[in-house]
Amino acid sequence: MLCVRDGDAGKLGILFERYQGTLYNFFVRLTGSRQASEDLVQDVFFRMLKYRHTYQDASDFTTWMYQIARNVRFDYYRKRKREVVLDEEENERASQEPGPVERLQRRQEIDLVRGALARLPEAKREVLVLSRYQNLKYDQIAVILCCDVGTVKVRVYRALKELGQIFFQLSGEKAS
Amino acid sequence: MNCERMKEHLADYLGDSLDLATKSEVLSHLSVCASCKEETESLQEVWNRLELLPGEQPGISLRARFYTMLEAYMQGKVEAKAGPAKVNDWIGMLWAKGPVFQFALSALLLALGIGIGHFYTPARTGDGEVAKLREEVHNMYQLVTISLLQQQSASERLRGLSWSQRVAQPDPQVLSALFQVLNYDTNVNVRLAAVDSLSQFSNQPEVRQGLTQALVRQSSPLVQIALIDLLVAIQERRSVEPLKHLSEDQKLNQAVKQRAEWGQKQLS
Repeated sequence: MLCVRDGDAGKLGILFERYQGTLYNFFVRLTGSRQASEDLVQDVFFRMLKYRHTYQDASDFTTWMYQIARNVRFDYYRKRKREVVLDEEENERASQEPGPVERLQRRQEIDLVRGALARLPEAKREVLVLSRYQNLKYDQIAVILCCDVGTVKVRVYRALKELGQIFFQLSGEKAS
Repeated sequence: MNCERMKEHLADYLGDSLDLATKSEVLSHLSVCASCKEETESLQEVWNRLELLPGEQPGISLRARFYTMLEAYMQGKVEAKAGPAKVNDWIGMLWAKGPVFQFALSALLLALGIGIGHFYTPARTGDGEVAKLREEVHNMYQLVTISLLQQQSASERLRGLSWSQRVAQPDPQVLSALFQVLNYDTNVNVRLAAVDSLSQFSNQPEVRQGLTQALVRQSSPLVQIALIDLLVAIQERRSVEPLKHLSEDQKLNQAVKQRAEWGQKQLS
C-alpha cells in the first residue's frame, strides 16, 4: 500500500488479488447479498485509491482496509435507506438444490446459520463476523470499531448469547 | 477466577487465543462452576456452528470491473500529469525570455510546421490516424458506459445504458456489465432499459444466449414481457424451452404466461 500511496497505483492490483475474496466474504456475511457485496468491494478499492494519502507508514493495512470497508457499507445502505434483510436469493438456491439427504441437511443447517445471523442486530453481527470469520485479533477489531479490546470481547460474548437464542427460536419454528 | 472474569475471557477462550496460564485458570473455574460450564458449552456450540457457513468466491465480473477502474484511474493520472504541468512549464520558460524571443520562436515553429506539413502530407493517406482516433473514441464510449453502469444512482445507470448504444462493437467487459445490470439491477426501469441496449447486439451468439438465460431469472412481468418480445423479434429458437417452462409456471403473472405461450408459437 505504501507503493500505491507514493504513486504506483498499479500495485493496487496485488492488493486486490490478495484481499478481494476476504472483503467479499465480509460483505456477504454482513449483507447477505452477493450483488451488493461485489459493488461494495469495488467501492473499497476505489476509496483506497482516492484516500491513499491517509495511509500512514506505521498503519496496519488490514485494519485500515476494514475501516474503509465499514464506511463504504455504511454509506451504501444510508443511500438506500433500508436495513439489511435476509437474502432471499440464497434461500431459493438452497431449496432448489437437489441431492442426497446429507447434503440437504447440511444446506438446511447452513441456511439456519445464515438466517440466524441475519436476525442478529447489525452491530452484533459485525463483531461476530470480524472475530469469527475474518481471522482478526481482538486488538485489531478494537481499532476497526474504535473501542477498547475489553469492549470487543464483551460484545462478542453478548452477540453469541443472542445468536444462541435466535438459533433456539429458529429451530423451534422449524420443528413446529 | 470468578464468574465475572470468566465472561471477560470467554471470547478468547472460544477463539483459542488465551495464554496457557489464563487458560488453565479458566478450565479450573469451569470444573467447579456448573452455570459457567453450561453457558460456555452452549456458546461453544454456537461458535462451532458458525463454522458451517462456507466461504464464497466473488464473480468474475468483479475482477473485470476493478481492472477497468484501475486502468481508467491510471490513464487519467498520466493525462493529468502530461497536460497542464508541461504547458505551464513551457509558458514559464518563454515568459522569462521576453517577447522578442517569443516572436522568433513562433515564427520558427510556424515555418517548421508548414515545412513538415508540406513534406509529409503527400505520403500520408490519413486513414490510419482516423482509424486510431475512432478506436480511441470507441474505447472511451466503452469506459464511460462501464463506469456509469456501476453508479449507485439509477438515473446514472440509465445514462450508462444510453451511452452503450454508441458502442458499435462491445468488448466482453461491456457485455458483462450490461448482463450484470439485466440480471441483478434492483431497479425495474434500469433492467428494462438493459433489454433495449442488449437488443442492438443481438447478432452476437453470446448475447442471444445471455438473453435466453436471463428470461428465467427475471421476476418483473414488465422485463419478462420485454425479453419475450425481443427473443421473438430476433427469432431465437433456443428460447422455446425456457418459454415453455415459463408458460407452465402456475404462479406466473397471467399476462406473462399468455405472452410466453404466444412466443412459443411464434418460434416453434
